[in-house]
Amino acid sequence: MRIMTNYLAPFAISALLISTACSGAEPPAPSPPTAARPAAAAPAAPASTTAAAGALPRFVQAAGAGSLEFEFVQAGAVTQGHFRKFATELQYDENQLAASKLKVTVQMPSLDTQEKDRDEVLASAELFDTGKFPTAQYSATGLAERGSGLEAVGKLTLHGVTRDVRVPLTIRTTNNGVEISGETTIRRLEFGVGQGDWKSTEWVGDEVKLRYRVPLTRSK
Amino acid sequence: MSIRNTTRSWGSLSKALHWLIVLLIINQWVIAQRADALTGFQKFATLNWHKWFGMTIFMLAIVRLLWRLANPVPDLTAETRPWERVLAKISHVLLYALIFAMPLTGWLMSSAKAYGVSWFNVFQFPDLVGKDDRLYELMHETHEVLFGVLVATALLHAAGALKHHFVDHNDVLRRMLPFGRIK
Repeated sequence: MRIMTNYLAPFAISALLISTACSGAEPPAPSPPTAARPAAAAPAAPASTTAAAGALPRFVQAAGAGSLEFEFVQAGAVTQGHFRKFATELQYDENQLAASKLKVTVQMPSLDTQEKDRDEVLASAELFDTGKFPTAQYSATGLAERGSGLEAVGKLTLHGVTRDVRVPLTIRTTNNGVEISGETTIRRLEFGVGQGDWKSTEWVGDEVKLRYRVPLTRSK
Repeated sequence: MSIRNTTRSWGSLSKALHWLIVLLIINQWVIAQRADALTGFQKFATLNWHKWFGMTIFMLAIVRLLWRLANPVPDLTAETRPWERVLAKISHVLLYALIFAMPLTGWLMSSAKAYGVSWFNVFQFPDLVGKDDRLYELMHETHEVLFGVLVATALLHAAGALKHHFVDHNDVLRRMLPFGRIK
């Protein structure tokens, strides 16, 4: 609002009407995939939930392989980017879902939206604060069936804030391992991403869509 | 005053479009000056207002061109000299071209810098080109040069209108004024 009164006095009224109309018109966001659900973490693995995790086959992300993309709305326009550096480890047995584990570590300074100025703003203290929080980590302590696919049940630590997050994914067997893919939406403000002026969802949307496709190779 | 033009005067829609675009262009300049002096969030938000109003001008320009083609154009008075007619014609064509070229070069700047453009958060325009730093620089310079041309042409246009009014004592200026009465 400050912007308007400062810079757009002649248009303040119409702009106010428009922006009010817009914020009113924003569709109610679907609730985020946090642990609001009952803690029926993984009723899916019938016999072997007690199997030792160490016994599960291990898979690691092949160097340089895989994509982790994000998408958000900035001033009414969809904006995309990706992380150039992240690592994924999976311990997985389709018959021992509850004992399966997934760990993804993202190097936050590797974020790339194709525009250096914007990347610097995203990395700055008011947004991701990558100087203080150089990595984000998702750590799932189990998998569960969800619809035709799976979901990981775990915690996401982003910007120093940890929250329960369920991540839908599909695991497909490949020649030398598996491929994880899927997409989900998180809310940046739940992780305190966006301080000061950047808190306003009028300019940068709260919802951030994540899309991932990561080939993993079986490790010994 | 009818909404349509007649051969003697501009209709209300032509007048409204003319003056609305004048005000929006002045506002665009003010916002751009502010944005240049700002950083961070303030610059980001201010530039977006510039883009939103710019795309508004672009859409109004389309309406204006179509309306002009669908309407009679009031003629200059019989006393208008041939060189005045030529100058008027050139400046009118240039001004029409510029109310398209300014938003288009701005839109290209955004697309080439990988920033999508929306209209007041209501809907999003497509990206015209992919990320292209050199095209961005070229469009940025073009945008500024064209603004200079726009200012010069608009001043010539205004000088012509004032001459018609104060020197020739005819209706050419009055017939474009919001509440102007023609004799």
